[in-house]
Formats: sequence, structure tokens, C-alpha cells
Amino acid sequence: MSYLNINEVESAVVSLSTAFPSLTGLIDLPERSVEGRMSHALRIGAESLAPKDCVVLTGGLHAREWGSCEVLVHLAADLLEAYDSHAGLAYGGTTFTADQVQRVLNELDLVVFPLVNPDGRRYSQTVDPMWRKNRNPANSGGHPRCIGVDINRNFDFLFDFATAFAPTAGPHVSADPCDLQVYEGPHAFSEPETRNVRWLLDEFPWTRWFVDVHSHAEDMLFVWGDDENQSIEPDMNFRNPFFDGKRGVAGDLAYAEFIEKSDADNAALLAEQFCQGLHGVRGRTYKPMSGFHLYPTSGTSDDYAFSRHFVDPEKGKILAFTIEWGESFQPLWPEMEQIVLDVDAGLVQFCLAAL
Amino acid sequence: MSTARYDILRVRVTAKDADTLRALLREVRPDVGGTPTRGPDGRYSIDAYVPSDQVAALKRVGVTVEEVENASEAGRLAQAQVGEGDRFAPADAYPHGLAVKVRD
Repeated sequence: MSYLNINEVESAVVSLSTAFPSLTGLIDLPERSVEGRMSHALRIGAESLAPKDCVVLTGGLHAREWGSCEVLVHLAADLLEAYDSHAGLAYGGTTFTADQVQRVLNELDLVVFPLVNPDGRRYSQTVDPMWRKNRNPANSGGHPRCIGVDINRNFDFLFDFATAFAPTAGPHVSADPCDLQVYEGPHAFSEPETRNVRWLLDEFPWTRWFVDVHSHAEDMLFVWGDDENQSIEPDMNFRNPFFDGKRGVAGDLAYAEFIEKSDADNAALLAEQFCQGLHGVRGRTYKPMSGFHLYPTSGTSDDYAFSRHFVDPEKGKILAFTIEWGESFQPLWPEMEQIVLDVDAGLVQFCLAAL
Repeated sequence: MSTARYDILRVRVTAKDADTLRALLREVRPDVGGTPTRGPDGRYSIDAYVPSDQVAALKRVGVTVEEVENASEAGRLAQAQVGEGDRFAPADAYPHGLAVKVRD
């Protein structure tokens, strides 16, 4: 085995839907990538008359973080094969019984979208391994170095970061198309790859958890990413223009992002459960913390997913997370296999804790 | 080690204290990997991915910059580990996952 090329990620998803037709649904994403590639996601779960709570898992937003796709493809394969054969799963020192596997797929739907940015992955795997963005040339002015938008800064959350953040905050985002890493795009959801993720969240209204797989830092991040969390002042929130120019500074009293205490507690608990499941595999220690403590951001997938129910109360509440696996973007494949085991054990533990 | 003009280097940036590192990150905004760590000597370090022609911008009083690896070169070597063709093209082929399937 080795890293999957982009055709293989697609083929893996389709082949799992063929091999386990009663446990899966193949999802055609509505938008082609900038270079015209189709994408698929996979819904996995036992048939149910009533709608089930749903976990949406995405990977491959950032092109160079190759192993994110493998983490999700192998998670789907493990769960399907174990459920179908009434087996348990052993990830090194972390094990799950057959009953636990049955519970996950009987009581949850998992929607797995392993490769959000196929054009970028192809470019990273064949040309520039450190490429992160998609391959949209629209804003490049003809300069090859200025191609692309950072998909994980293109979601609709504090997109006008220059207005939202304090001048000293230094959020990791840029309005400069020639920024090699974090160009946010001309407007929120300007990119088809980003719109596909939004479509999934709209299409599965029973989604209660969202997990976006990235690297690297060995962290399990929960919302928020723009500032520290607080559960005291509901009016101090991302929609309130009174706080424009005050967000994103660590340790100050000017601003902290509101989250209900019960949500903050649940998010921290689930992140901790993920880290415990992962630790049992071979002893790696990931840190659960809010995204802001990695660095301040705007336009990320997890903050957008959680923000939706504030913006539109008709939408369900989605507790959202970002995994930052490993210590490098493209570890040698034998080490990546170990990381896949680590993270997938954490994700199964996460699902069990969410039930 | 030779570097192409726009190769990305992984460097370890070590500052004499947290304030110095925070000011550097705010000013230069490098592409960082992970969170700062505090060494036994009280200094703070973080890894950053920086184009080879921009490493000099990180250097200043109270800060050391050490090259960890040429990340672009390492990545080009890693490209040899990407599969060719389509291993799931045969009608009966599908991924099996890496966990061991166990009987209770």
C-alpha cells in the first residue's frame, strides 16, 4: 500500500459503495472542481426508517496534507467490513467490540467526503508537494505562483477579517491572491470545492457533528478559531459589529467568542474522547484545545459549520472539530499507516462518545 | 543541500521569550506547523515553512533560525510513494482498512 492518487480516492469511495450496497449511499457532489473533476462522498450506516443523527467528515481541503484522505477512506472501510462481518476493531492497543461497531452504524449516519480538493492534491502529488490551495487561476493575474484559493479560509465566517479582527491580531488569512498559503478568495464560497462542503451540510440536516481532517500539529481542535471562548455574554459574538476591530487578541478583555456552556463542555468532552482513543493505539498524545489556541483564523470549515445555527435558527446545531494529525505533511508511508490507525481509533471513540 | 528559488524550507524559529516570538509571528506571519513549545532554557520555538528566499526575513535580535529540512525536496521524494494506476479498478477490489477485525 502507499498514498492514494486522486483517481484512487474516488475509486475507493465508489468501490466501497458497490461492496456494501445495503450499508452505504454514494453521494454525487453537485459541483465539479475548478479543473472539472467530479467528487463523491459516501454515506455509511444501517438502514433506518427514522432519520439518524449524522457525522460529516471531510478531508483533503489542503492539498499537501495527503494522509487526510487515507484516514477517512480507511475509517469507512474498517467500519463497513467490521459491521458486515459482526467483528470488532483493533487499532493497536485501542479496541472496539463488535457491539460497539454495530451501535455506531445502527445509531449514526457517517458522511465521509475524503477529497474535497482533488485538483490541489494532484498538483501536490505530481508537481509541487508543498501546494496547499486549490488550482483556481481566476485571481492570479497570470502569475503561476498566485494561483489558488485556500479552501479552509473560503467559508462564510468573519470573511471580512480586516474589519472583524484587531489590527494586532494577525489572523492566519490573507486577501492577497499571491499569498502562497492562506488567500481567502474574492468572496466567501467563491470556490466550487467550498460550496460542495456547504451543500453536504445542507443536504444532511440531521448533521450534529462535523470533523475536518488536516495536518500537522497533533491537536484536536474545537470551536472557536477567531478568539477565546466565553459563555457569559451572548451579545459578544461574531455577528455583532460593535466588536469589529476587537477580535483575535489572546488574553485581553475586549472580546471573546460566545458559546453556550453546554456546547463548550460537550465539545471539550468529545475532543478529549478522541484524544484518549488515539492515545491507546501506541501512546501518541494529541492535545484537545480550541482552534484559536493554534492560531487565530477566519473562514474555516469548523467555525462556519458551528456558526450556521446562530445565523439561521432553522438550521441544526453542529458541533465542529478540526483534527491536525502527525508531525509533517507527508510522512513516509509506514509512519502514515500508524497515523491512520491513531486517528481512526480516535474517530471511532469520538462517534461512540457522541451517541 | 541545494534549493530551487521557491523551495519551501522547514525551519525551527527559537526566540528568547514568548513576547519576542509573538511579535515575530504577528509581523512576518509565516506558515507555521503546530504550536510554540517552551524549552528547558525558557526559550520558545515553533516550526515554520518558509520559501527559501524569505528565511532571512525571520532573523533578528533574540531569534535563531535553524533549518530542519528542505520540505519541498522531502516532498518530491515522497511523491514516489504515491500509487500509480488504480488499485481499486478491478470489480472485486475495495479498500479493507488498516484495523484488525477481531472476534469478541
